[in-house]
Amino acid sequence: MKAPIGITMGDAAGIGPEIVARFFAEGPERPALVYGDLAALRRGAADAAVDLRFAEVDAPSDAAALPPGTVPVIAAGRLAALPPLGRVSAEAGAGAYGAVVRAIDDAAAGRIAAIVTAPINKDALRAAGIGYPGHTEILAARTGTADFAMMLANADLRVLLVSIHLSLAEAVRAVTPETESRAIRLADSATRAFGVARPRVAVAGLNPHAGENGLFGSEERDVIAPAVARARADGIDASGPWPGDTVFMRARRGEFDVVVAQYHDQGLIPVKYLGIDEGVNITVGLPFVRTSVDHGTAFDIAGSGRADHASLRAAFRQAVAMTGS
Amino acid sequence: MSRSLPTIALAMGDPAGISPELTAKVMALPDIRAAARFIVIGDRRLFEAGARTAGTAADVPVVSSLDEALKPTDGPVFVDMRNCDPAAIAVGVVSREGGAAAVQNFRAAIDLAGAGHIDALCFTPFNKGAMRLAHPTYTDEIVFLDEVLGTEGTASEYNIMNGIWNARVTSHVPLKGVAELITRANIDRAIARTRTNMITAGFTEPRIAVAALNPHAGDGGNFGREEIEVIGPAVEAAKAEGYSVEGPFPSDTVFLRARAGAFDAVLTMYHDQGQIAMKLIGFDTGVTLLGGYPVPIATPAHGTAYEIAGQGVANVGATRQALLLAAEMGRRAREATPAH
Repeated sequence: MKAPIGITMGDAAGIGPEIVARFFAEGPERPALVYGDLAALRRGAADAAVDLRFAEVDAPSDAAALPPGTVPVIAAGRLAALPPLGRVSAEAGAGAYGAVVRAIDDAAAGRIAAIVTAPINKDALRAAGIGYPGHTEILAARTGTADFAMMLANADLRVLLVSIHLSLAEAVRAVTPETESRAIRLADSATRAFGVARPRVAVAGLNPHAGENGLFGSEERDVIAPAVARARADGIDASGPWPGDTVFMRARRGEFDVVVAQYHDQGLIPVKYLGIDEGVNITVGLPFVRTSVDHGTAFDIAGSGRADHASLRAAFRQAVAMTGS
Repeated sequence: MSRSLPTIALAMGDPAGISPELTAKVMALPDIRAAARFIVIGDRRLFEAGARTAGTAADVPVVSSLDEALKPTDGPVFVDMRNCDPAAIAVGVVSREGGAAAVQNFRAAIDLAGAGHIDALCFTPFNKGAMRLAHPTYTDEIVFLDEVLGTEGTASEYNIMNGIWNARVTSHVPLKGVAELITRANIDRAIARTRTNMITAGFTEPRIAVAALNPHAGDGGNFGREEIEVIGPAVEAAKAEGYSVEGPFPSDTVFLRARAGAFDAVLTMYHDQGQIAMKLIGFDTGVTLLGGYPVPIATPAHGTAYEIAGQGVANVGATRQALLLAAEMGRRAREATPAH
């Protein structure tokens, strides 16, 4: 029997528990369990106004023995007290981190088939003394993965980022032969995992008009174009560098299967513009499948019962698609 | 001639693309002819070829000099520059001849603006590469305008699509040079100019959103400090002036908010930050506006579209929008200076 998919609850002060509750109330299309705190999940179910039964289990393999309709919970990142909603708290940050770490260890050992993450809050992590800016970095560090990348996907577009959480100035410096080659290779392999036999990988330029033949920057000529050529020599159907302001439109029209974006906002602007509610974030290069919602903790609406779980549902479906249903 | 109509020079752009067709199509539109008195500058043979492609009448009276074009008439005039034989131009191919004609047309229009003869300036799409073949220092329109007019650093560029204005603090510079250009003075100036130009275009108090430079608006200083040290204080200072300015906002969602109606304009920090979203909003109808010169300068945001040149299928929507915006801004500027 196939291992279940693990969903992490996210920051208990945000909308994570509520969207997890909404998701389970709908009934997952494949066995799933939650990593998190039981009391926080019950509060999430109350906020969502859904009637759910939760039961703690010690290991993912115990989940199958629960009565149907009961949501299995691996108690990880247990909270001493429920943190107030909508506020940064060290307690919630530590709890969210604990849940993610436990899920990573289970996924790495093959006890769960994939991880789907609800949002965490970086300020809360920092308040808890945890120095990672986000999930992706935690996952990479815990699994010892050097070659990883963040990919975003919605119905119209797949985008892989060369760098993630860097200032714009640092992101420009991160455009190197190594990072370009890695991004192109990961974009190719990840898009194959979507079922595309020979992905057409478009690489965006860094500078306006992709540098306009060196007039507005030289990285295209010196770094990106050679990386595209090396990828082609390796048998990847890569092309570019293309001007950043039109490559996403072209991909959306079907010319490309995936776009390599040179920095965070270059990739996030089109993804969010084309579909903020159903977007999925995938960490590429890990030893297991990990998908995530593409939104944050939404402290402003936490506890109001207005959180939308569309992105979590999309992320779960993505995980199912990438692990075989 | 109607005294209230603004006078607008329309320079024909690159002859190998859709510019001749667009020029003919837009000059055939009744609302365009009613909005301003146009002085079209180009080679009449190209205009006639464009009209054949477009299936429109080339019925604009032709004069042979710019001086003649300035004599008051009721309708538009066409200044025949005799500078580009259509037989020498291959459709869809960059050429020095085509670039030379576009440079000459643009320069003639700029001279009219510099001499105070026109209220606004428009052009159909240029090919910068072709223009560079003819005029090696041609980097972009702003650099050329500064070269001809002797101006420097006064320009501001806007893209306007579906009613949303996009202004930029930096534009055609390498991305690695952007962060050091994000200074308090540059942002203050960009906010002030955006507001002024939008008021000239008819806004009472435009609602301007300022984008952040870094991902997640710097995430409280974790991924860059420009938001805390430069952009945020500039926004606060603009608010203190009574301007409707907010931000800095993460750039991956600020355009969603503008699209939803929360803002009239988004001030972005660099070229692609605005262009990616604006082109997704609507590539065919966008207008590029240059402010900070003697007259407003408007052009369609799209390019020469070599791949569809000569087929008669070019969409005139953006060109029409550009000319209507120029007419509106020209009319307001004219009313503001009765001595004109």
